[in-house]
Amino acid sequence: MNAYTRYNRQIMLTEIGEKGQYKLLKSKVLIIGAGGLGAAILPYLAAAGVGEIGIVDDDVVEVSNLQRQVIYKSSSIGQFKVDEAKAMAEELNPDVKINAIAEKLSGANAVYLFENHDIIVDATDNLKIKYLINDACLITNKPMVYGSIFRFQGQVSVFNYQNGPTYRCLYPDENSSSVNCTDAGVIGISVGIIGMLQANEVIKMILEMGEVLSGKILVYNVLNNEQQKYDFEKNDSFVMDRNTFEEKYSQKGNTVEEISAEAALGQIDNQEVLFLDVRNEDELPKIAFKNSLQIPLMNLENEIQKLKSDQTIYVFCQSGIRSKIAVELLRKKEFRGVKSVVGGVLKLKKFLKEEKILLKI
Amino acid sequence: MIEVKYFGAIAEKTKCSFENVTSSNISLQDLLQDLEEKYKFESLSFSVAVNQKIVSKTTDYALKSNDIVALLPPFSGG
Repeated sequence: MNAYTRYNRQIMLTEIGEKGQYKLLKSKVLIIGAGGLGAAILPYLAAAGVGEIGIVDDDVVEVSNLQRQVIYKSSSIGQFKVDEAKAMAEELNPDVKINAIAEKLSGANAVYLFENHDIIVDATDNLKIKYLINDACLITNKPMVYGSIFRFQGQVSVFNYQNGPTYRCLYPDENSSSVNCTDAGVIGISVGIIGMLQANEVIKMILEMGEVLSGKILVYNVLNNEQQKYDFEKNDSFVMDRNTFEEKYSQKGNTVEEISAEAALGQIDNQEVLFLDVRNEDELPKIAFKNSLQIPLMNLENEIQKLKSDQTIYVFCQSGIRSKIAVELLRKKEFRGVKSVVGGVLKLKKFLKEEKILLKI
Repeated sequence: MIEVKYFGAIAEKTKCSFENVTSSNISLQDLLQDLEEKYKFESLSFSVAVNQKIVSKTTDYALKSNDIVALLPPFSGG
């Protein structure tokens, strides 16, 4: 009865009804990315009663996210986005099961995660990962709800819907480049509109109503409200099977994982995190706090027993170059949770001063 | 007259969202080559639509008057 009351206004719609509501409660949706798009998609799916929602993102909330990632609060800064998103969605609708997955999507976890969901939503902000999502959707036979932004314009489409055209049919050139919001700038409303259009496609697929944006890409311009749809066809020349997928996305040659200085310092009080300084001892400014440790890069291999391989370690140096080498070295020694701090001390210093944390110059 | 529409990073190179090309009897490939020479898109990749339908850039298509060509680069913000 309680459930009926909660969803009454949508159950009233003849296209939905109690049967449709049951379909929503039975469905499992995976959202990749808890940034601007994810922050728009998640609350609407949760409120509508989508039964199980997984959210994948390994970032923490930064102050510069709050202008567009409206599900987070100022008090969320430094916390994992997926944890904050889960808390928000569960408070909004306790009927919904939210799985917070604080991982980066990779060839190692994509197939497993996709197999356990019905619909995959691409709310990411880089091109490479869109090809990974596309390919993992192909081998698990799941639809991919695509959305992305360039300044005041957005694109939306649904790929691999009932064997329909895929992202590669639209954009075959995997090595192309495009800038993300961090580099290009964006207002919250643009990501909000595009995220909402994605959520709409998800709901339409679950309820089997309307026309799914399959084989069409919608391009929206928020400055003049022009929107156009372009048709595209399936191109069968690209074949993706499990073997090809594994070869392509195996961990070999993985790029070094990085974290921004701002995000790293958000974890400064987290006892689980170790800040590893790989500069030489005479380098200035000296930085030392409770959970920091200095091992110069050239000694790292010999003193590796000072570190635990299952610990979260943020490695920094003066500018972010040696720390990358250190991360690669630690990765080879089976260290899993290591990241390099982008910009090193030069960046950290700025925030450390703001936070008045011990800094001996 | 052929209308060419530009989106995303492509429109930033062309500094306009559309323009009219007056030359007639031009193939799609020739038009794209002319635009590349004029704007130097270089590493920017894009898909091409003719009259709201994505086509292969190497299609041997003779553009007709009133055709609308669109250059659609992938976006990646989110």
